[in-house]
Amino acid sequence: MFSQYVGVSPKSDLILLQMLGAKLSQRSYLHINSTRAGGGVVEILQRMIPILRELGIDARWEVIEGDSKFFDITKKIHNALQGNAEIITDEMWQYHFKINRQNAEKINLEADAVVIHDPQPAPLVEFKKTGSWMWRCHIDLSNPQIGVWDYISQYCEKYDAAIFSVAKFARAMTIDQYIAAPSIDPISEKNRDLTEEEMNETLKKFQIQTDRPIILQVSRFDRFKDPIGVIAAYRIVKKYNDCILILAGSPATDDPEGEAVLKEVKEFAAGDPDIYILLLPPFSDRDINVLQRIATVILQKSLREGFGLTVSESMWKGKAVIGGATGGIPLQIVHGITGFLVHSIEGAAFRIRQLLSNPEMSKRMGENAKEYVRKNFLITRQIRDYLSIWYSMESKGKGILEL
Amino acid sequence: MEKIIEPFEFRQCISILKSTGRKAKNLRQLRDVMAVASDECIFHHTYQYFLKGHTLEYTNDFAHWAGESLEERALSEHLSNIDPYDFKDINDLRNELLDVIDDHLERFPEPREAMPGDEFYFNETVTLIFPVGIRAKNLAEFLMAIKYIDAGSIYYHFYEARIRLGSGIDDFSRWIEDAFGKKELVEKIRTIDPFMHNLEGIKEHIAEVVEEEVRRDMEVIDRCLVSM
Repeated sequence: MFSQYVGVSPKSDLILLQMLGAKLSQRSYLHINSTRAGGGVVEILQRMIPILRELGIDARWEVIEGDSKFFDITKKIHNALQGNAEIITDEMWQYHFKINRQNAEKINLEADAVVIHDPQPAPLVEFKKTGSWMWRCHIDLSNPQIGVWDYISQYCEKYDAAIFSVAKFARAMTIDQYIAAPSIDPISEKNRDLTEEEMNETLKKFQIQTDRPIILQVSRFDRFKDPIGVIAAYRIVKKYNDCILILAGSPATDDPEGEAVLKEVKEFAAGDPDIYILLLPPFSDRDINVLQRIATVILQKSLREGFGLTVSESMWKGKAVIGGATGGIPLQIVHGITGFLVHSIEGAAFRIRQLLSNPEMSKRMGENAKEYVRKNFLITRQIRDYLSIWYSMESKGKGILEL
Repeated sequence: MEKIIEPFEFRQCISILKSTGRKAKNLRQLRDVMAVASDECIFHHTYQYFLKGHTLEYTNDFAHWAGESLEERALSEHLSNIDPYDFKDINDLRNELLDVIDDHLERFPEPREAMPGDEFYFNETVTLIFPVGIRAKNLAEFLMAIKYIDAGSIYYHFYEARIRLGSGIDDFSRWIEDAFGKKELVEKIRTIDPFMHNLEGIKEHIAEVVEEEVRRDMEVIDRCLVSM
């Protein structure tokens, strides 16, 4: 599997991975999260574990088990840490701990390094036996419900270090806090190169004509992704450029608001035959890949965002992306170099027109965008960072490490 | 006896970011945290600015933030004009940065605030240095290599070397001077302004001047014709 990244990932990342693999050879490295299916964390772990093993590291991935009561509680904790109003009672905290204790009895927690992903399994640190323990927080903690953070941080502060995706997602803590941005996998179904036949299959399925410029946004039908704003921007553009708009996303079954937002979007589109609203079922990775490759301009006009990895996915296809200046999007889009950051519907419309009218500029930005992702947002860089953090923790206090 | 030439071993560095958990939402808070931040933190936001591959409006993170997030253009110009390699000690650099900010605050005592989420986040780094497995024994090999290596290697040898060796000199020109004594080429490399190019630009400039030298060494016939 490692060899598949040769010629794709930066050579220096691959060299460093091999060197760190040699330094940490045969050492045990345990990752624990709360689900084996769905979500960005799982996608990364699925790929990362075999690569780590190939590098000579004794990597293992365990998943905690819990009932629906446990996961209802952890969902509330997750939402509260992202700033939503939730009430977590003492009884709920006790249940959260109880399920973690049961898991600690079943899972072998002995390893040289242990990475616990997100708040669900955070209390496992109470059962730490050996090794360096890291709490990997994938969510934005910049504005949490303080009471909930105060409680969960009692566990978090017992780790040897925390890892956040972005510096502004972190909080002041007494332990070391490392930053490791998330990443995309260039050889996965969502990002790999496609054949013409594969492309045509999707185009035929959705009956999409490619004779006019295509504006695309791929995201859940969620108000924070501003699909209505995207349609409004498209309408401004339409006065100047004949184009079509594709809004592609999953129906968001776990989100009670999802249905309502989708209805609003359909109403707002008002039967415009040039607006395609595509409801993609789970595992539509190849279709998303095709849509990103055929699009002329890609938007991620979010009003609020986590890291927003769909931006890197689109950039990897050589596209200049127009993104809302929120969450992790400004880390991916260097304004005017790899795409454009916008703050309004009018701003989005203006940048779409700019890209549609200047195909050369659009192409150049798209090339910059792909190289930017190659250097900063591929999975090999993320694995390199995880191993570097572990290696750095073992050399505590040293700011410069020579290999 | 022919002089034994020590090959040039290309190395590279990467940085792993560490958050200090501290942030500033206006200029006054920025200066207060800067005054007490660790040396590693000041080092990261100044010397390591070029490792991030930013474009060339600014020369350090403080100037970048003042310009982009506070829209304090004059201040960002002043801060960008500070050359970190002029200072032997990180605290001297810190004091110079603080003087510029204090001076600005004296003239404009009510600084504006950054938008929420656009605050200045104080970070540090852990730097890993490693060989990239490329070695050059002569200028032609060096030329091939310089075109091939990653930007992180240019940072290590062209920027980081200036502080590592304490003499403000990059590794490339030092090796060329020691190994071949080519004064003119050495001067050309040393006159490349480190603040006026990004890492790719530096790489292209070095490749250009080295290529000129290699071609000159190679074109024996031209020289023979001239001497006829």
